[in-house]
Amino acid sequence: MDLFLTYTLVGLVMGAVYAIAASGLVLTYTTSGVFNFAHGAQAMLSAFLYWQLSVGWGLPVPVAFVLVVLVFGPLTGVLLHKTLMHGLRDVAEVTKVVVTVAVLLGMVSLSQWIWNPTEARSVAMLWGNSTSFELLGVRIRYHELLCLVAAAALAIGLRLLFTRSRVGVTMRAVVDDPDLLRLNGYNPDRVAMASWAVGASLAALAGVLVTPVAGGSLEANTLTLLVIDTFAAAMFGRLRSIPRTFVGALFLGLASTYLLGYAPTDWDWIGNVKTALPMIVLFLVLLVLPQDRLRGAQQRTRERTRVPSVRFAAGWAVAFVAIMFVITKIANPLMLGPWTAALAFSIIALSLVPLTGYAGEINLVPLSFGAIAVIVAYHTGVSGTGLDATLAWKGLLIGTVAAALVGGLVALPALRLRGLYLALATMAFGGLVSTLVLSEVTPRDWPIWGENTIFPAAVIAMPHLDAGPLDLDDEATFLMALAVLFAVLGVALVALRNSGYGRRLAAMKDSPAAAAMLGQSLVRLKLSVFMLSAAIAGLGCILMASAVGSVAPDNFLIVASLALVMLTVVGGVSYVSGALFGGFMVGMGFSLINGTFGNLEAGSDMYAGLFGSLSHVFAIAIALTGIGVNRNPSGIVNDICESYRPLRNARPVLYVGVAAGLVLLGLNWVEVIGDWSFAIGIFCVVVLLPVLGRIWMPERVLTESELAEHRSRAAVVPPELRALDGPLDPEERYDLDTYLGLPARALPALDETPSDLEATRV
Amino acid sequence: MTSVVTDRATGPVEPEPIPPVLELVGVRAAYGPIQVLHGVDLTVHPGQVVALLGPNGGGKTTTVKVAAGLLPMAGGELRYAGQKVNGISAETAAGMGVCLIPEGRGVFANLTVRENLWLATGTGASREQIEERAYFRFPILQDRRNQLAGSMSGGEQQMLALSRALATDPAVLLLDELSMGLAPMIVSQMYDTVAQLVEEGISVLVAEQFARTVLPIADLAAVMLHGRIAAVGTPAEIDADLSTTYLGG
Repeated sequence: MDLFLTYTLVGLVMGAVYAIAASGLVLTYTTSGVFNFAHGAQAMLSAFLYWQLSVGWGLPVPVAFVLVVLVFGPLTGVLLHKTLMHGLRDVAEVTKVVVTVAVLLGMVSLSQWIWNPTEARSVAMLWGNSTSFELLGVRIRYHELLCLVAAAALAIGLRLLFTRSRVGVTMRAVVDDPDLLRLNGYNPDRVAMASWAVGASLAALAGVLVTPVAGGSLEANTLTLLVIDTFAAAMFGRLRSIPRTFVGALFLGLASTYLLGYAPTDWDWIGNVKTALPMIVLFLVLLVLPQDRLRGAQQRTRERTRVPSVRFAAGWAVAFVAIMFVITKIANPLMLGPWTAALAFSIIALSLVPLTGYAGEINLVPLSFGAIAVIVAYHTGVSGTGLDATLAWKGLLIGTVAAALVGGLVALPALRLRGLYLALATMAFGGLVSTLVLSEVTPRDWPIWGENTIFPAAVIAMPHLDAGPLDLDDEATFLMALAVLFAVLGVALVALRNSGYGRRLAAMKDSPAAAAMLGQSLVRLKLSVFMLSAAIAGLGCILMASAVGSVAPDNFLIVASLALVMLTVVGGVSYVSGALFGGFMVGMGFSLINGTFGNLEAGSDMYAGLFGSLSHVFAIAIALTGIGVNRNPSGIVNDICESYRPLRNARPVLYVGVAAGLVLLGLNWVEVIGDWSFAIGIFCVVVLLPVLGRIWMPERVLTESELAEHRSRAAVVPPELRALDGPLDPEERYDLDTYLGLPARALPALDETPSDLEATRV
Repeated sequence: MTSVVTDRATGPVEPEPIPPVLELVGVRAAYGPIQVLHGVDLTVHPGQVVALLGPNGGGKTTTVKVAAGLLPMAGGELRYAGQKVNGISAETAAGMGVCLIPEGRGVFANLTVRENLWLATGTGASREQIEERAYFRFPILQDRRNQLAGSMSGGEQQMLALSRALATDPAVLLLDELSMGLAPMIVSQMYDTVAQLVEEGISVLVAEQFARTVLPIADLAAVMLHGRIAAVGTPAEIDADLSTTYLGG
């Protein structure tokens, strides 16, 4: 009985902390419509700051506690709202997800920069680990009591806030209709900011309370993911109801403790199930949630895409393969590894183009589907050992099909989910894969399969494909094979978008209700595009594994998937080139730049600290590019293409660009400049060319209205000099009248060209 | 040049004894690149009921939105009681006594009736006073006070929306398509309420597609076409012109 009570207490405490974290999440979601993936990272940062203040700098515990929960927490909330979240009103769901994911990744990088992750840190409970009292034979620590009391107070407090205080009621009203709230005399921005401040403060509270309960050691990723577990609790309340969220949180806490406490001791996998429990619950809750009604026209979003023609895509595909061929010739042979990895990641990123770009559905964990493909391919297709090992076509094929089937299996129950809910369901699946499948590193006796290991010794060495006459062990050949495969897949996807199927996907994205009414089977569309996407991700992951040589469970972590998804969206998820951008940033950018800074750091004593910091700054900068999606939701590639579009009329500018590129190539060829200088030079040329065009031949590049604006800006006359060399036009006279307070006369009809006149007046 | 000119506060050289409560002078407004209002001049004097008539897409809604500060202007001047208030925010305007009942249902659908009324205190009135006046005028709201506003009938929702105008005692009331989607009986009940407000001295600008419902209570009527005021006159004059101007009402 005592044991049961102890388990119950531990479960309740865990549930209480979950409840605190989840209620902050629900609060910000209901008031701003933004699901804050960074909530866990905020809790993690707060925990670290609390450690720094109380242990690092020796401040008294109450002071540190107040500073973190009541000062730092609200400040981060206000800052997040001011800089990012209030701009996220009229954007697609995927953009909202990516911006908060970027904040998450940035915060994790930031914490690892400030607090070196290789040092061990631990936080004791408030009032120490040993102060306690006994109740019914159970030892209760004061810290645990505080968790319970805080959660209970919060439950009541939030209820009162939302129903009994005007601020709380305005917080609920701002979701309904911000404009109407303004007409009632409130500032909706300030209301949303208040809720972000409260939400962030709750994240901070959860962060400070959870660390000692969960063992006491501070580790950035674990802490961040711990709070992600609360997504399941928040989902219990459909992201709206605070009381149901509390029930969900307590259920999670109790279930995981009982599971661990009462399972038979020879079930060694129960620990993994306990870790996976929140994700299992999240998945199940998502499946049984009442169905979202089909929405008619989705609100107009800021994302803009242009559908390229197949011929255009084919032209670029040929050019791409040619460029890759040149690179295999000029690049340092030792550097081909990152190139192949980048291309393989690009293929994985390509899986997002039909799914997210065309159909508007979100899959946050392409790498988890890939992991399935890699495991299946490894078990079915690899023969030989050591250097003689090869991967058979059969393995590649079966692995890809397996990924597609698993994709279908996951998508089938989740089909009625859309947007954020589907994204969370895929994330739950990713969590399941990493805790249940990828952790199977020791042999086990399976029912049909016999004695076998899913992920032998936590590392899978994936040999190259046995491609007959092509020797893929040669890096350059493998690189070319990947380039050709990427080009072919890219053109195929563009062709798909231009086909009837692609248009049906686009229709489903724009308005599911209208598409259903036109007789489209949404189920079939979603299922097929999800399977297609999972298959591409699987294929890409198998190739990635053989490009990298060997993969560990860490390669398929949710965080890695999130980074890939984020960078693909940054590049432009509706474009094949956006996938290329994402793949190269993940496959090449990270490793190359971190490697370079690492070498520099090791090679120079004087600047070691500087280079070390620079690599951290770079990691944060990558996260910041994700935040930039907020300003530019259509993607970087789209931006660059749009800036090049006008240059079509200004051939000489393009010739200059090509010439500059060739000069740089030549200099690199004769080894006057290194690879880095070459890459930076090419980047500068690409970015500066549109600017050059505007300066050099404005009349060919600028549009009519831009030109008109240009001229009018040049022709602005100060008011006192007007009418000296010509009569005033009626509009000027009108303005002068208003200015002098003369009786206002009606403006003459502006029928002719009102918009032009407007332009000249600005 | 407009920006240079309008930097300084200006007013009429000879101020009228009582300035108009609401005045739009040469107002231009746009949604993104599309210009909707091409210079609108409109004046509402104290105690006056001005009807803004015209077909769909004429710019009536845009005009009242600009007047309430919901939509920024691209040019021209907005004056409250003779003071230039260009660039005023909607919440400040609400605090100054400009009350807009927007098109459709001006209620928070996911809040209860009482909570909706509570939010009306944002402009200074006390909660008790608002509830008292609202329930006195529309007793049905008292029965529904703990019900979600979104679950009420269209007429009841419009009553709730109008309660804000009743209870907060604004200086000028802007009504946008009060009759939209309502049964004729409810519409006449609504306009009875408006007429009562007018008797209490509130100035009203009412944008309405169906001219005949509003002309009887109007002192002045203006017809909007293509983002301009096409005609201004007494209700009788406008009524006579209506059938020739456009097929409506």
